[in-house]
Amino acid sequence: MPTRGLRLALDVAVRLLAMFAVLSCGARAAAQTSAATAPGSVGNAEVRDEGIPIRSELVRAKCGSCHRSDQQQRLSRISYRRATPENWERTIKRMATLNKVDLDPADARAILKYLADHQGLAPDEERPIAFEAERRMLEYTYMADKDTADTCSSCHSMARVLAERRTKEEWELLVAMHRGYYPLVDNQPMNGGQGFRRTRPAQTEPGPDGRPPDNRHPMDKALEHLTKTLPLTTSEWATWSAAMQSPKLAGRWAIVGSAAGKGAVYGTVVIAADPGAPDNFTTDTRYTVARTGETVTRTGKAIVYTGYQWRGRGGDAQPWREVLFVERDWRNMWGRWYTGSYDETGIDVKLVRLGSEPMIFGASVTALKSSSTAMPVKIFGANLPATPRVEDVGFGQGVSVARIVSARPDEIALEVNVAPDALIGPRDVSVGGTAMPSALVVYDRIDGLKVNPAAGMARVGGNVFPKQLQQFEAVGINNGLDGKSGTADDLNLGIVSVKWSLEEYPATFGDDDVQFVGTLDQNGLFTPSGDGPNPKRTGNRNNVGDVWVVAELAPGGGGAAAAASGPPAGAATTVRARAHLLVTVPVYMAWFETEGGR
Amino acid sequence: MNHLRAVNRKAVRVERATDHDVVALQRNGLPQAPHFPIGCSLVFSPGWEADRTGGTAGLCQPVERDLFDCHIGCYWPAQVPDQLNHAPDWTAKCAAAQKDWRRIDLIFP
Repeated sequence: MPTRGLRLALDVAVRLLAMFAVLSCGARAAAQTSAATAPGSVGNAEVRDEGIPIRSELVRAKCGSCHRSDQQQRLSRISYRRATPENWERTIKRMATLNKVDLDPADARAILKYLADHQGLAPDEERPIAFEAERRMLEYTYMADKDTADTCSSCHSMARVLAERRTKEEWELLVAMHRGYYPLVDNQPMNGGQGFRRTRPAQTEPGPDGRPPDNRHPMDKALEHLTKTLPLTTSEWATWSAAMQSPKLAGRWAIVGSAAGKGAVYGTVVIAADPGAPDNFTTDTRYTVARTGETVTRTGKAIVYTGYQWRGRGGDAQPWREVLFVERDWRNMWGRWYTGSYDETGIDVKLVRLGSEPMIFGASVTALKSSSTAMPVKIFGANLPATPRVEDVGFGQGVSVARIVSARPDEIALEVNVAPDALIGPRDVSVGGTAMPSALVVYDRIDGLKVNPAAGMARVGGNVFPKQLQQFEAVGINNGLDGKSGTADDLNLGIVSVKWSLEEYPATFGDDDVQFVGTLDQNGLFTPSGDGPNPKRTGNRNNVGDVWVVAELAPGGGGAAAAASGPPAGAATTVRARAHLLVTVPVYMAWFETEGGR
Repeated sequence: MNHLRAVNRKAVRVERATDHDVVALQRNGLPQAPHFPIGCSLVFSPGWEADRTGGTAGLCQPVERDLFDCHIGCYWPAQVPDQLNHAPDWTAKCAAAQKDWRRIDLIFP
């Protein structure tokens, strides 16, 4: 949050700028001016050459009253941009909220579909920024140009920019739009940047390379970079827009996923095509959390944009979103399913098309302790043999199948013995002619723990604004054959049951955050306290703060890199690990379609 | 510090406070900026979620005290509704956010 003295000065500046914006017709008028002059305007040879014709009567009818058409059916502004479905959606929403376009929801959806399909991103353009639509919380640093990164990502994710391709003039107009709507961006020194304009003294000394200093405004440097790096016309899009087909995804698909704090999930999705609408699908999903046996079923529906971007939703009591990237072979999809007020609860998933061949998805345990008997293990898969014999199932050296408890085509339950001299390391699991490489590991003891994520974030809420939760998980680590921690041969044993606690992260003298920020349950789920000023804290502070999240495993105990019901996993001494947790303030703008905020 | 002994109460408090693992004070590679436990300071401009050390000690607190200033100045346009465009009437139901914060709306731009 900004400094108060500076802010007072800036407030005055904003008001003056706002007045100026009104007097000089402002950003909207600027857009319309451009609408009137963009194609064919003087000196715009690039624009004239590049624009994408818009052949949808609906788009032309609804957008054409402001966006002027030229003889080649190109609409001003719209034809000179490509973007992901999410970015087109935000633009259409902005047209409704700020520019007062009158659209009914069905038309808005149809316009979004047309624009995303005909002016989208090619798969290879989308792949590096898939995390944006998947709503992952991760730290992403744009390395290609620091000025661009500072200018754009002070306010929003850099991936939102990388989800766009524009002509030079369109990039300039995008910058103009930001300066019109948010006049303060010119000199807003957020996160160490200096705003769109250069607010620091001009450099006079040559740089380390001997060249004269570049004293252009950051936005001018960013414009040059964006124009060069993210142009409207690319070979990727030319190739994809020609090759793109409406994907035929109906059929049975295997789900192999991983949920934070829960571990692996395995199941199937039956996808059916909607005969009335191309690219529309309905889904019937069923999966099992391997470690606990919890089973989830859900029905949903989905649309595929641009031939490969699956956007689905399902669930009744708790709505889930599905963001998947459909690979070009139509046999693989990957992405994230998520829910929560800030989309913070999710499963990383891979979907593989199922045929009649047997397939192993994985096992209910991630690690087997050497020298143990009758350990329960379930193998999840599809088309597995209905009546397997003991010798049909293999776990490699030192692990033998004691008996088969039950068998279905999608699940075989068995008991295994692990020999005292079994070599530690990864094992493949095989059933009836198919094998899953490195499905689990054999280990002798737990040498250490690791808490994931190493840095988490939650937001206070519950009174007015929603809470953002944070799930942690502790994984066991075995030092491997070399006996040294932190080396390449360390074995990840998967999730272990640990004792969870919060500890103060002393950032100030008398730091007392841990008393206020919230609670951590014994499954590693942190739930923050309520929003609003807390009269019990000095200065009526909110329940924000930063704390350590500590996982502890007592000697010999802790139950299990193996199944939750398995025997103790065994650490020689007490092992601990911790992660940093930031509990912070809400966001008061919901830019994404969150579920909890409504 | 092994050969030094606190001789007054303030030094004793410093010693006790740094007895633990004062991670925030040990971070390297960051500009040496002071922490202001509460309120807006005049010397640095932190991020919305975290201050420049990655913690919360330097944030404006409580956030409600700061919200309308951000709103009117469009200072955090991605986090706080701006009065120029998206939410000109955001403060209409609530004269002082410190008191009436329950009446602030979440804005869907």
